Formats: sequence, structure tokens, C-alpha cells
Amino acid sequence: MVQTQDRPFIRADGPDKVTGSGRYVADLSLTGMATAKFKYAEVPHARITKLDVTAARDLPGVFAVLTQADVPDVRFGAIPDRTLFAHDIVRFEGEVVAAVAAVDAETAQQAVDAIVFEYEPLPIVDDLEAALADDSPLVHEAWEDYETGVVRDRNLASFSSIARGDIEAGMESADIVISSRFETDASHAVPIEPRGIVAQWEGDKVTIWTSTQVPFQARGGVCETLQLPTNRVRVIVPHLGGGFGGKCGFHFEAHIAALARAAGRPVKLIFSRKEEFLAPDRRREGMVIEVETGLRSDGTIVGRRGRLLLDNGAYTADADFFSQLAAMHLAGPYKIPNVLIESSLIYTNRQPSGSVRAPTAPQACWAVESHTDELAAAVDMDPIEFRRLNAIDSGDVGVVGQTYGEIGLQQCIEKAVEEIGEPAGDDEAIGLAIGWWPSFPGPSGVYVKIDDDGTGQIITGAQECGTGAVMTLPMIVADELGMEPSDFQLVYQDTSAAPYDTGATGSQTLLNNGRAALGAAVEIGRQLRELAAQHLEAAAEDIVLENGTASVVGSPAVTVSIVELAEMAADENLLLSHGSSEPLPEVPLEGATCVGDLGVAAWSAPQFSCHAVRVKLDRETGVARVLEVSTAHDSGTIINPIGATGQVEGGVMMGIGQALSEGTVYGEARQLNAGLLEYKLQTSADAPVIKTQFIQIDTPNAGPHGAKGLAEAPNVTTAGAIANALAKLTGTTLRRLPMTPERIWEETQ
Amino acid sequence: MIIAETLEQALEALAAGARPIAGGSDLVVAHRSGKAPLPAQLVAIDRLEELSSIEQGEDGVRIGAVVNHARLVTHPLIIDTYPSLADAAALVGSPATRNVGTIGGNVMNGSPAMDTGAPLVVLGAKVALQSTNGYREIDVADLWTGPGVTSAEPDELCVALSIPTPQASTSSAYVRLEYRRAMEIAVVGAACSVTLSEGVVSAINIALTAVAPTIVAVDGLEGAIGQPPQDVEALVQSVASEQASPISDLRAGAEYRRQMVGVMAKRSFAAAVARAQGEAIAVPVNRSIGIGA
Repeated sequence: MVQTQDRPFIRADGPDKVTGSGRYVADLSLTGMATAKFKYAEVPHARITKLDVTAARDLPGVFAVLTQADVPDVRFGAIPDRTLFAHDIVRFEGEVVAAVAAVDAETAQQAVDAIVFEYEPLPIVDDLEAALADDSPLVHEAWEDYETGVVRDRNLASFSSIARGDIEAGMESADIVISSRFETDASHAVPIEPRGIVAQWEGDKVTIWTSTQVPFQARGGVCETLQLPTNRVRVIVPHLGGGFGGKCGFHFEAHIAALARAAGRPVKLIFSRKEEFLAPDRRREGMVIEVETGLRSDGTIVGRRGRLLLDNGAYTADADFFSQLAAMHLAGPYKIPNVLIESSLIYTNRQPSGSVRAPTAPQACWAVESHTDELAAAVDMDPIEFRRLNAIDSGDVGVVGQTYGEIGLQQCIEKAVEEIGEPAGDDEAIGLAIGWWPSFPGPSGVYVKIDDDGTGQIITGAQECGTGAVMTLPMIVADELGMEPSDFQLVYQDTSAAPYDTGATGSQTLLNNGRAALGAAVEIGRQLRELAAQHLEAAAEDIVLENGTASVVGSPAVTVSIVELAEMAADENLLLSHGSSEPLPEVPLEGATCVGDLGVAAWSAPQFSCHAVRVKLDRETGVARVLEVSTAHDSGTIINPIGATGQVEGGVMMGIGQALSEGTVYGEARQLNAGLLEYKLQTSADAPVIKTQFIQIDTPNAGPHGAKGLAEAPNVTTAGAIANALAKLTGTTLRRLPMTPERIWEETQ
Repeated sequence: MIIAETLEQALEALAAGARPIAGGSDLVVAHRSGKAPLPAQLVAIDRLEELSSIEQGEDGVRIGAVVNHARLVTHPLIIDTYPSLADAAALVGSPATRNVGTIGGNVMNGSPAMDTGAPLVVLGAKVALQSTNGYREIDVADLWTGPGVTSAEPDELCVALSIPTPQASTSSAYVRLEYRRAMEIAVVGAACSVTLSEGVVSAINIALTAVAPTIVAVDGLEGAIGQPPQDVEALVQSVASEQASPISDLRAGAEYRRQMVGVMAKRSFAAAVARAQGEAIAVPVNRSIGIGA
């Protein structure tokens, strides 16, 4: 096991963030800086008949006003269906029509108000079933022109299916068939820091400070849409005030860079809370979920049919693979021999959907785990026993034909149930749910150097979005070199200083960047050992690095300190290395067919979890409170237990919000509750007791020392567990998410 | 902005067209959210000592207009004698909101969802209004004429709330329906003041939050008089629901609100009765016996 686990550890960005000395984008101020504001469509679907910015440009104090006419004609996105500014047609209320840079916010607003924007309304597409009909209006008339590898048709943005065995025969062999239908409202990531961007040109190079989770993707988006070479765009992220997926992807960096170029001065954009709700192409998609499962009377699952409709919104952002990911969660971590799940991602005139913490999983898991309790009830089995019987274990084959190695799902069920308390009366009940989540291997790099005084720097492309994954890198490097984490400083979140990384997305930072850091540390270790070997007149392979010194194995008294070695190296060969994440072996699948396979059927280093919750229901009002949550996670080796526990607790709180209070409300495809008063996050006053256990199983082909991801997994299972407790308390399965007090009350009248 | 050093300065500024500001928790938030621009001229009244005391007199208590919610929650006299007001003040916003938001501001803002309104009605509070032209006191229930609208003249400043000393064996409680435990606004709420005499109800007042254009007092509770409290709960619940005229909005549908305000009325009645019987029910009732757990 890794030594790092037992070391006391203060995360490097902690003091900055806690004391207020840390700097965020909003804190930046450059000489001559102008203020940006956007003109939004504020109509969900319309053909632009007039867009005239002359009067806005002529206002005193206005430096630049841009529309699509002023930027290259480039479409972008996972399905390239979008331009920087609206082009002929607006497809959702938060679409940017024009951008203004002015001397101050008031002048910028006057300029926005002076823009002449006229349009003919077009029919709104906002019903998932109706959008698939042959006579439905199209969100993208020219959909056939968008080149992409996804299976799609008209308003169907992406289709994916999982077929295994013989579904007809399987369902016929069932003693009992249970069908369920669920609907979920869309929800939001809601980072506490609304996004900010500052762009400044020097000659033909631009530096962009932005609150993104994915600086390299943001850079890629700027280069693609403004047609610039990579080495002329530098993206820097100061401290990031949360993201939860909402700051993944490429957003508004190019708009601000283009404004700064046109204005001839630095430009700053800071979003209001309302803009943070409405404008980004990252919303947790609403779904319609139909699932039908065949059982033998002994409780064995013999078949599952599923149909999923996902709300893509107006543009695809990164959501093209959500159809397949949702199908995986509707299958769940169960042994099912006969499966047919069909999943459709559908264009609507709502805000685009995109990666919000564990995209598709909390909703699909909520539905399938509610359904699972219905299955258990149908054969009169305890829900825990039912899951023990049907959930996959080490060596089992899942629905897509993946054979799982050593996994800890069954232990997760055991441990989570063990620690949950007893209901204190008949207005309390226990519910549980199980879930899974992939680890996403990907390219990632780190440089490590040790300077002449023996202090080190880790220069990483990885982005810290609050999870603590980047903060864990000094533990990994120091552990390898027999040094202390505090011996290292991090240089991070700067695309021109560090090698590539995918960003704080897909729970991939520790998995990939952690391996890169370990690789770089191993290389520095080799350099230190060679130097020590010369100095101590021993073989390099006999040198032990420990407690800040190098010594010869078996002779601990003969030492040279790393400080001394660093001083020597400064005059000779510098202590300098790089590491990058090697591709993980491909995961073979056998016996299943995935139409529209977007690469998320086969899962490297899959993560598993079980959450058990104790919920109290006020039956007269429908107000439910989660009193206690017991979680158990298999995320492989835990490198930083404090950080890992924090991740789980945060995921649980977000899960409670998704379960009980967080949901968008629309009228005519416009969100009516785009603010923190009416879109209700959970607060710390609402937090239950949260217990966390980690099932640490040696996992080959995972991250450093066998670590898997952990950022998203804790957000998968909580809502399903709460639903099952509420089903016990209300005597009915709740079919709409979030399960608000009014909905619970209506169900029980 | 004028920072008033005396009440006279403040009243003169109001007479000249300025609007008063103390905590700013309504004015500034409305401005930032784009709901209402800040008034052109403001007069800050938060430093006026004469508006910041809680004084017990012969007939009752006089609460200065700029007393903030946090003080109400911790004041022994308010907790002991007017606990419904403390119940309500304890639920407002967050610790930060409670430390800047004032009782006078809350009353004059006139929101039908205000938490302190229903307790003030059932406690029989009067609002003291002063201008350069004079001074008057009116029942709080007569102050609110619509959502965010009061019967006060633009140059009148709310300087205090005065609440009479309750009869013996009287207590009160406020309960609201809330979806979370901080930074919340009442979905519906109800306050109840009850007097017991030899085991039966001898006086009862109930007022409702967020079910009408203003805080409303409930009529038609005569049937409760002379009855043992446990026999009255159903009546309280049904009368409160019947008298509500709620709207449907993002927070709740009208029918849910109507039913829930009855539940809140019943619970506020039960808590007020328990307190009147000498049972210690900690402030706020919402955390002691109120909603959820």
C-alpha cells in the first residue's frame, strides 16, 4: 500500500482559499480593461430578420460590438452544430446574438439595449416524444450537413443501443414482468463562482484568464473558432470557484478574445447568476425513462427492455455520447442475460445539455434503482438480498459483455448497509441504491524539476476544480522520492507552461495525470539515484530514497541529502523530467451489440458504490429530510483519504439536491427559476450525517498505485437511495425527479 | 446618500423625497436582481440610536425599527413573551441576513411572504409612523394594502413596533412550510396566539403568510372559544385553509398552499397551546416540532 495515506496533509490551495488571499478571475484587473456584456436571444426559436449594431457601436464609451459577421464562419461542438454567435436562427433563449465591450458595465448595457434585434418566432420543440415525430418542426433544418460519426436523424441528435442475448425469448421465460416509467427535470451544476473571462492581446498572441475546468479544451475552442495556431493562445485559470461539470467544454473564451482584439484593449466578462444558469451549454439533461424487467420467481433477472429519451437542448456541446452512457446506467451493474435498451438524445429549443457531474447517471440510476425495489417487492424479496443476487461480482459478465476483474460492488452493499442506523419510527425508512461509473483513460502530462536548493516543482497540465486531485500530486511525487509533499510547489492551469491534459472532467485527473506525475517522479528518482550512486560509490539500484536523503541499502548511516544532491545537479545535469499517462489496455467485449457505440460501453477500472440512506417524511406536508447517509465506494486505492472523503460528502449533498429540490421549471422553453431563490440547492444546514467507507481492492490497469476516479461516482447513487426510502414511506414509487414536497404530497393524497 | 445622525435629519430627508435604508437586504437585492432600481436619493437610518432599542414599558414592548432579526432571536423578553416573533425572526435568510435585515424594513417592505408579519398581527402589534408632519400608530394589519404596498405616506418613517403585554396564560408560535433549512422563503406560514383559561381556549388569533396579497388574519375562530385545545385543532386547520386565497407560482401550486396553510395553522396552534401550558418549545418551532425532522 502507498505510504502517502498515513501522512498529514494540507492541500496547497487550502490556505489561499480559506483566508481569501487566493485570486479568481473576477479579482483580475488590467490597465485599460473594458467590460463585456452579451446580447441574448431571449426567445427559444426564431429566425433573425434584422440585427443592426450600428447605434450600439456609435455610443460613446463603446469599444467594440461583434456578431457572427465579425468572426470566422466555423461550426463547432461534438456534433458541429453551433457557431460562436447566432447565425440566421436562434435556437434557445440563452444564445448569444452579439457581444459588446465598453468602458464600464452601464455603458455596455446601454449598448446591448441599443442593438436592433428583430425576428420571426418559429415553432418551439420542447416535447421529447413529439420531437421524434415525422411532422415535428426541426431544431436544425440543415442537420444533414453536420459531419459527425454519430447515428442520428432529424431531431434525433444521437442514438445508441445495447442488445444482448435474445430479448423476446428472455422476457417470455420470465415468471413476472414489471414495467416502469419515470421522468426527470433538467438540473444545473451551479458552481458558486459564476464564470469570468479576461482576454488580453500582445501582438498576435492572446492570453485568456478564464474559469474553466478544461483549459486545453478551451484553448482548442479558441483556436478552432478564431482560426489561430495553438502556440498563439495561452489559457490560464486562476483559482476556480467550483465547476461540477458546468465549466467543462469550450464556452465564451473566443467571444472575449475576439472582443479584446476588436477593442484593442483587455476585456473582462463576469457572469451574473442568471447568466450562469441560462447561457452555458452545460445543463443536466431531462429524461423520459421506460424500463421493463423480466424475473424468475426466485428473483433472478432474465431480461430487460429499456427506452430512454434525453433532452439534448439546442446544441450538442459534448453530449453526443450521453445516449450510450444513459443506456449503460439503465442496464446498471447487474447480471442480465437478455437486454435491449434503446437510447435517444433529442434536440429541443432548450438550453444545451452537457457534462454535469456524472452526466446521465443520477437520473438513470434513480429510475433503475427505484425499479429494482419494485422488482424485489414483486418477488417478495428484501431489496438488499435482491441486489446481492443480481448485482455483478468479480468475474461476472455485465450486459455489454465485459468480464469484470476484481471489483468491490458486493462489499460496497455489505458495508453501506452495515453502517446505516435503524429507522426511529414509522415516519422514517431506509433506502439503498447501487451504481457504477467508468474511469476514462486519456493523454496527460507532467514535468517535475528539483532546483538547486532541493525544493521541487510539479508543472502539470491538470486542472484543479476543487476535487483536490491536483493537490494530491505532491503526495504521489514526494512519496516516490522519499521527500515531503510540502517540498513541492505546483505550477498548474496554464496551457503554455505545462503539457496537455484533458482537464477536470470525467473523474480523470488522478487516473491519468497522477500516472504522469508518478512517471515523472520515477524518472527524477532515477536521476537522484545515479547522482547518489556516484557520490556514495555504490550501484544506483542499491540507493534508497527516504526521509529527504539517499543512502545505500543495508547501510543507512551512509547518506547524502537530497539538498546536497540538488546542489551538485545544479552544476551538472539538471534534475528535470517529464511523465505522461500511457494508454490503458483495451477492454474486450463479447456477446453484445452496441449500435452507435461511442466508446463508453467498455469501462476501464470501473467504480462501484452503494449508498444507504435514512429518510424522515413529514407525511402531512410531503417534506422529506435525509437524516443519515452511509456510503461505500470501490474507487480502487485511496491516495488521499481526507480529500476522498470530502469528494463523497460533496457528491452526496449534490445528490440530495437532485433528489429533493433541484429541478428546472420551463414555460415555453424558457427557464422560469434561473436563480438561487427558486432553484433550491441544499445548504449546509440541510446536511445529514454522512459516513464513508472505501473498499480498496488492488486494481490493475487503473491510476497511480491502483487508484480509480472518484469525482463523479459519489453523485450517482444518492437520489436512487432516497427514492427507495420514500417509496417505503409513501407506499408508492415516485416517478418524477426531483421528488419535491408538493409532488410527494400529491402522490399520497 | 445621506447618513442621518438624528431622527429629525432622517425625517427631513424623507420629506425631501429620499427613501430610507437600513440593512439594505431588500433594496440592494432588488436592485442587483434588476427588480427595482435603487431610489435616486437614500437616507441611511441604521445608526439612529433612537430606533435601535427594545424597551419594555407598562403596556408592552416597543421595538425600534432598526432592531435586526438576530437581536430578536436572542432577546429574552421576545423569546419569553412574544415567542412567535422570535420563531419567525430565526427563520429569516441566513445569519448574515438576520444580522443586517431589520424588523422595520421587513414590515415596510410589505411582502406577503414576510415571516415576521403573521406574528405581529396575532400579537396585536402597532406600527409607529413618523414624519415632519407628525406621529401616528396604526395596527400592522392596516399597514399592508397589497404585495409590497403599504398605507404609509412616502414621507413617513417606521420608527418602531409596539406590542401589548399579553394576558396571563397566553403564548404564541409561528410555523412555516420550508423546503430547506437556510436561505429559504416561506412557501406558506401561520402564526397563532392563544390564551387558555381553566383548560379551555379563551382567546385565539391566527394569521397566515403567503396565501393572499398581504398577511391575513383568520376570522371565524369563535367556535374555538371555550373548547379544550385538543378539540379545536381540526377547526383551526379547516378555517385557515378555507380563508386562504393562494396563487400558484414556482414555489407551490394554489391547492397545495391552501392545504398546507391549514397544516401550518394547526401546528402553530399546537405549539402556542403547549407554550401557554408552560411547556418549553425552543425557538424556532420549525426546528423543534415543525417541518420534516
